[in-house]
Amino acid sequence: MKGTGGRIGFVCALMVLIFTGFAWRLINLQVLQHDYFSLKAAEKHCFRQPIQARRGRILDRNGEELAVNIPVRTVTADGTHIHDPAALAAVAAPFLEMPVSELTQKLSTKRPYVVIRKAVSEENAQGMIRAMEKAGLRGLYLEEDAVRSYPNGEMLCHVLGFVDHSGHGIDGIEKMLDGELSGQDGFRMIEHDRRGREIVIYRGQEQLPEQGADIRLSIDMGLQAIVEKEIDTTYKELHPAGATAILADPNTGEILAMACRPNYDPNHFNEAKVEQLRNRAITDMYEPGSTFKIVVAAAALNDKIVDEKTRIYCENGLFQYGGKTIKDHHGSGDLSVSEILMKSSNIGSAKMALRMQDNCYYDYVRRFGFGEKTGIPLHGEISGLVNPPHRWDMITKTRMAFGQSVSVTPIQMVMGMSVIANGGKLMKPRLVLSKGEGSGTQEVTPAREVVSAKTAGFVADALQRAVSDQGTAPLARVEGYTVAGKTGTAQKISPHGGYLDGRFIVSFAGFLPADQPKLMGLVIVDDAPIGSSANYGGLVAAPVFSKIASRAVRYLDIPQESAAVMAQSANASTITAGTH
Amino acid sequence: MNKNRHRTTNLIEVNVLARLIIVAFLVGIAALFFVYLKNQQHAVGNQARITEAALRESQAKNEGLKARITSMTSRGALQRRLDEGYIKLDAIRDTAIARVTPAMPAEEDGVLRTASRDPASRFGPGAPQRTINR
Repeated sequence: MKGTGGRIGFVCALMVLIFTGFAWRLINLQVLQHDYFSLKAAEKHCFRQPIQARRGRILDRNGEELAVNIPVRTVTADGTHIHDPAALAAVAAPFLEMPVSELTQKLSTKRPYVVIRKAVSEENAQGMIRAMEKAGLRGLYLEEDAVRSYPNGEMLCHVLGFVDHSGHGIDGIEKMLDGELSGQDGFRMIEHDRRGREIVIYRGQEQLPEQGADIRLSIDMGLQAIVEKEIDTTYKELHPAGATAILADPNTGEILAMACRPNYDPNHFNEAKVEQLRNRAITDMYEPGSTFKIVVAAAALNDKIVDEKTRIYCENGLFQYGGKTIKDHHGSGDLSVSEILMKSSNIGSAKMALRMQDNCYYDYVRRFGFGEKTGIPLHGEISGLVNPPHRWDMITKTRMAFGQSVSVTPIQMVMGMSVIANGGKLMKPRLVLSKGEGSGTQEVTPAREVVSAKTAGFVADALQRAVSDQGTAPLARVEGYTVAGKTGTAQKISPHGGYLDGRFIVSFAGFLPADQPKLMGLVIVDDAPIGSSANYGGLVAAPVFSKIASRAVRYLDIPQESAAVMAQSANASTITAGTH
Repeated sequence: MNKNRHRTTNLIEVNVLARLIIVAFLVGIAALFFVYLKNQQHAVGNQARITEAALRESQAKNEGLKARITSMTSRGALQRRLDEGYIKLDAIRDTAIARVTPAMPAEEDGVLRTASRDPASRFGPGAPQRTINR
């Protein structure tokens, strides 16, 4: 009996000991090492699932899509879930468009996160998952992604720019407004089961993504298509080193179209050469030639150094000054300011500049916006080159008067000419109308008043005559509309100093209807190999402007001017031409 | 003797036992119900996950198709088709255009518009009707 009681006591003590051990282990796991094991479990099962923000679209002013996203999938592998790489590769390879051997090699890993292939189409990705489920395999997972697509290809490439493989803007609007377009990625804390599927009831903290804003540009794709077509034809026919065309609204500074050649396809930007990537409208400076004469004429008139009736002796085409000779294409005697612009007299322009104080003239050049960036939201804009008076030599001022010894960008020239078109105000170029749905369009405010409306009107009248039979740009005319504009023909600067013989940058900058301008245009053809006798702004660039403007006014439904206005304009040109 | 035996017999207290059984039953039911709810949660969660995936797939397909439509109907694509001769463009002469509203110069409302945009949409509900000029 005593022995029995002892044995029972021993067994009881043993049981107590065992259960005490269990209890201690339980307390140890659940209480003392709680944090450690919680962390371990979380590492194994909890994930921070990123929720990608959609990159905003880029639209034209009428809502036409210029840059969109195509949803794709990134396929990743978790090596710890893969037991038979060869079998998995055999199932997945056709959907991933990869050789089985290569995929097998990639899947033979124990790393928990390996990117197998990017930009897999939605159809292929879902097909792969279904095939894996059917075969009872696991280890490959999908992540949401998107690739940027530019539906119009090469059209407007320099304005739009492109994004890199990670979706960040590299050039153009894509770069300048990358922050607004990208948005902010969100996330969700989730737990996986052992098969890698999310356990929805254990969803943790969640932050929704802030979607990227849609950017609405001032570009009108109807006008852009017209400009692209004409500039393309010019580029293919004349084979110049480059060509640029810009259309803008002179009253608001809105850029309606912008095209450069050579260009590239932003969908395949990695195939483009550096030359093709350059947006010549903002990154190239050139000597503007005679188009710059508007500055000296407007400045002299505005400061009352000359008036409408002032006549300047133009030395019959040869003027010696500062040891150099200034020549006119056609020699003339006395010319009024209007005639100087109409006939594009270098001597007349130089003499007007000589009547002005250096600082005053320089100030006007700067007030027209030359020598400073316009602030257009595009990457790589340069400020051009306008030397201050203390760096001028004796002839600099005379050269600047007809567009030498000064370098401007095409966008500066457009804005400068717009000063004449809109009554004397320098507008800041607008390329972006709105950023996102909530943002309203910004108010249009001029950067500054450059010259009086009267001066601008007088110069505009003179430019209207430049587009007559007596002027330098009759080929810029548009049927049914009065056009005002100025040609420019400038010799190319040699990198070794001086000018290159027989090589020219020709341009035409003009606006229409001349009385109430709606459209401002600039066409530049750089170094077309067509011989000096034909390489003039009036012969090369003006006809391109005319073709663009003819189609643009029809597209914009700008009413034709009455016969009376057209006749008045023609008479004015004839009377002026008959006075010298 | 009998009396003593009767006195030491353990009586089954039915009431207490019944109460215990009921409590145990209720606890068991509650536990089963908890498990059932938990299973339901998992099942619903799973359905939600599948629905979300299907929705995402549909959205992605929709986006993809929209992008494809955009690229096929873009100006660049239409220009290519035009150049290749797949489509033809016939210019409409001014005399063949019937204007529902007369062409309006931009200075009236400060908006540059295209011929393809309906000028009627610019006027609000209270705006005066324009005469039809055919």
